[in-house]
Amino acid sequence: MTLLDITLQIFRYKPGQQPRYDTFTVQVEDTAHVIDAIDAVWAKHDHTLTFRRACHHSSCGSCALRINGVEKLPCITRFSDVWDGSSPLRLDPLRNFPIVSDLVVDVSGFFQRLSAANMSITRDAEPFLPLSVDDLADVVQPRTVELPDNLSRFNRFENCIECGICMSACPTMAVDDKFLGPAGLAAIYSACQKTDDPDKVAHLLALADGEHGVWRCHSAFECTEACPQAVDPAGKIMALRREITANRFKKSRRR
Amino acid sequence: MATLEQPLEKSKYRRAGRWFDVRRRKPGMWAYALNRITGIGLVVYLYLHLGVLSLLSRGPTSWDSFVSLARSPYFLTLDVILLAGFLIHGLNGLRVTLTGFNIGVKKQKVLFSALILVTVVALSAAALKIFGG
Repeated sequence: MTLLDITLQIFRYKPGQQPRYDTFTVQVEDTAHVIDAIDAVWAKHDHTLTFRRACHHSSCGSCALRINGVEKLPCITRFSDVWDGSSPLRLDPLRNFPIVSDLVVDVSGFFQRLSAANMSITRDAEPFLPLSVDDLADVVQPRTVELPDNLSRFNRFENCIECGICMSACPTMAVDDKFLGPAGLAAIYSACQKTDDPDKVAHLLALADGEHGVWRCHSAFECTEACPQAVDPAGKIMALRREITANRFKKSRRR
Repeated sequence: MATLEQPLEKSKYRRAGRWFDVRRRKPGMWAYALNRITGIGLVVYLYLHLGVLSLLSRGPTSWDSFVSLARSPYFLTLDVILLAGFLIHGLNGLRVTLTGFNIGVKKQKVLFSALILVTVVALSAAALKIFGG
């Protein structure tokens, strides 16, 4: 194990104060993740540093920030992946969100966009559903499991950990505050896939076809590149475009 | 949206500067920035072109003096840059159209590399033609 002396330049801001960067040097193991250094800054240098973290394994998405300008989850980002060995590592909050304090942003806009698609929760990595009886047969006494009627409220679009990284990486979000954004549009796509109700699909596609919908995306593909969970929002936006365009052709042929 | 204070980059124009910030970004963002740069360049060229054409209304003397200027190596270099703008913007437009129809989305980086390759080859051939006579 080797110890590294890492210098961090951390964005600082408290309401009513001018933003600035503070520089800290901390010692961490060479296998450490960036979140470990932030923890060390908080523990050994400055208790007023505000940042979020919870799971430490890219499950909660709460620690998302920008490392040297690029959106990352510091809990899974090793120094060897982002540090050149000498320059200070710059940490900034996510873009396109109001800043609450230091590295913490207000992500309510993100969830408002998801709720527009009526999306909600589980993912492959942590399914809420009980395993099948067969799966459990060897370890527990088999029993009948009643599934809730309102199952759909537990279904989140695939693998998204709601970190907000895609919204920060999107250049269109910078100039259109009402843009549904990569996560919102990916949620709409997934919601369309999960329903057989034509009225609901029509409503969702109309939402995506709106002024601040899929046509505001200008194909930078940064959302997909930055997404730590391979949700591929850009791919879903393009699929929505195709769907909307195909529907328009169908409608015009019916006339 | 929340009404919390947002201390940086309140101006949309300043935030639009991010369109051109490709540091540590991937090829898709490079294509995005190039499309904007070439798009702005082509709009500027369009107005310059209309201005140059208006010289025709001032008679043959002013037009002939412009033509002699247009044959200088410096001006021909501008022609090559203009052609680069046309090629990049046009070919990238094709790439964006294809991906917009959900065609080749997974290959968008390859498409970008291909358009750059085509641009370099076509531009080299054009430059040889322009400067070689």
